[in-house]
Amino acid sequence: MKSNVLKLMIRLAIVSLLITACGGATATQAPAATEAPAVTEAPVAATEAPAEAPIRIGASLPLTGDFSDPGTAAERGYQLWADVVNQSGGLLGRQVELVIYDNASNPDTAVADYERLITQDKVDLVVGPFSSKLVIPTSEVAAKYGYAFPEPAGGAEHVFDRGLTNIFFCQPAPSSEQSIPFAQFILGLPEDSRPKTFAVITGDDPFSISVVDSTAKLLTDGGLTMVLREVYPADTKDFSSLAAKVADLNPDLIVGGTQFEDSVGQIKAYQQAGYQPRGAMFTTGPSLPKEFDEALGTATEGVFAPISWFEESTIETNPEFVQAYHAMYGSDPIAEDSANAFTVGQVLQQAVENTQSLDNAVLIDEMHKATFTTVVGPLSFDDVGRPKGSFMVLQWQNGKIVIVGPDYAKQADPIWPKPNW
Amino acid sequence: MTIPSFHLFVQTLILGVLVGGVYALMASGLTLIFGVMRVINVAHGAFLILGAYITYVLFQNFQIDPIASILITIPIFFVIGWLLQRYMLSRIANPEQTSVLVTFALALVMEGLLGIIFQTTARSVTPSYTSAALMFATYRFPVTRLMGFGIALLIILLLYLILQYTNLGRAIRATTQDPRAAQLMGINTSMISAFTFALGVATAAAGGALLSIIYSFNPSSQSDWIARTLSIIVLGGLGSIPGALIAALILGVMEQMTAIVVTLYWSPIVFYFFLFITLIIRPQGLMGEIIREKG
Repeated sequence: MKSNVLKLMIRLAIVSLLITACGGATATQAPAATEAPAVTEAPVAATEAPAEAPIRIGASLPLTGDFSDPGTAAERGYQLWADVVNQSGGLLGRQVELVIYDNASNPDTAVADYERLITQDKVDLVVGPFSSKLVIPTSEVAAKYGYAFPEPAGGAEHVFDRGLTNIFFCQPAPSSEQSIPFAQFILGLPEDSRPKTFAVITGDDPFSISVVDSTAKLLTDGGLTMVLREVYPADTKDFSSLAAKVADLNPDLIVGGTQFEDSVGQIKAYQQAGYQPRGAMFTTGPSLPKEFDEALGTATEGVFAPISWFEESTIETNPEFVQAYHAMYGSDPIAEDSANAFTVGQVLQQAVENTQSLDNAVLIDEMHKATFTTVVGPLSFDDVGRPKGSFMVLQWQNGKIVIVGPDYAKQADPIWPKPNW
Repeated sequence: MTIPSFHLFVQTLILGVLVGGVYALMASGLTLIFGVMRVINVAHGAFLILGAYITYVLFQNFQIDPIASILITIPIFFVIGWLLQRYMLSRIANPEQTSVLVTFALALVMEGLLGIIFQTTARSVTPSYTSAALMFATYRFPVTRLMGFGIALLIILLLYLILQYTNLGRAIRATTQDPRAAQLMGINTSMISAFTFALGVATAAAGGALLSIIYSFNPSSQSDWIARTLSIIVLGGLGSIPGALIAALILGVMEQMTAIVVTLYWSPIVFYFFLFITLIIRPQGLMGEIIREKG
């Protein structure tokens, strides 16, 4: 008995040492690319005519780490698109198979993943990861091999200013234009209730900074005064001192450049610091309908965010998408990122069908020329892949997301000033 | 650089001291274990996160208040710590060196298992008082941090009393000072080691519960916390609980102050700079004793 225990312990120790040896270099950071497992290789749908191999489409997504919430939402969008296509006979008569790797929100891993997808897995097509931070380096890999790179969430200015022509950002507007409707709303408020001062508090992330800095410019041009601009490290967990600093200056409006976790962190810290702004906008976070509500409860009331899509939209193909989503994933509200990933699929699909081709050069050409029917509305791109539409603005009202502008999409009047959080 | 107003300065000082108390509790178990066994328990951060997850599960599924759940998690962790020392660490030849590897492996295994069970989504425990703050004059004391600070001091005081005024405590201190002499005086040093390790791990249960209401966490947060607690005990002097308390308060205040005077980016840099300077002047840390290698 005792020797059995001893043997077990020795084995445990050996295993532990082996794990230490393997994992030592990367410690607890992202797993190295070579060991990243294929998380969701879609099962090859059994077709009646298995003569032709499936079309393989590769992506690397942040399924773990800082971007895991929106990354997982994006994965759902891709998966749903592939399923919908396969159910209706596939693409060019062939089934679609997704090859998805988890990059743990790490740009280096994401780059290695796309290298592997293109050179080793030899996928036919690739689609982009979540958010500018990962899109910027990975799009260069795709460009190097001549692959078209439609992507769901990478709209920072730096995505477009490198002269690459293979990127297609599948949201209605680049980051720098996403908050125009919000800024217009603020500047359109009557003189006596319009905020005079604002603070920008943003994570160090190209997407967030791009959105908040363009917002700040619009507001400053409109006569508001920026009393503080703070950039914090992306993994910040403790916002208490930052909140104390903001509370001390007490700006009328807070503009937060956030992913999900830090939007919650900021708001909790503001609550503790007793800071009650008259208005608040956060880039990502409020757009996650389930998680934001779970994390903050009633504190969500009155919070604004720019948004590309909403569930109730009656734009062509959207009702079908919403129905298919709920049939596959249940009744929880749909995250914007799932819709954006689905949009990528739609663009790719229409480009392939229009040209009857899987040649990436042909597809890139088509994507620059055509207008695509998507769940975020008709989408077309300029010569560096900037979309030519416009965003909307959402507000949390009674525990739900509603669209409060611009007028053509409006579901309810905005609440101003926002109630205390 | 901005010069904060007096009000903001005092408010930040308050936040720093409160968070420092919690850091002290988190580091106290680590320094205690090192003091007695000369073992760095690299899995301490993972135990903190495990404690946070258990608190999370108890709160989500049984609505048990995170502070009350400490009463449940402390005994569990004590037993885990005891078993770990008796059946794993005590069997390692040359524990002072190889235990770092073994506990590091343990940390990685725990992180992996927690990742499988809870995924990597960041969690936090949000009792009704999460966003509340008490006011004294015009200064705000966030309730979660105030409670964290109070509980941390209480547990550290308890540890101190055990070490100073009980026979068990005297035996632990004797083992710290000279294990061979302690053994000659009739102290069962292997039992003392197991007890100390168990006690150290048990403090992580309390530390984890406090962590869960103040910060968000996921399995990989363990590496942040082991780094932070290790820095604290090195600054305080390895093995010294009062040293850990002082170092934790310094870290807490410096972090928060740097954030308002410069930016959050500089917080770790300023602290590590201070740590390096201290180690150059006082290699044994603020309250540490110089350890003589015994042949």
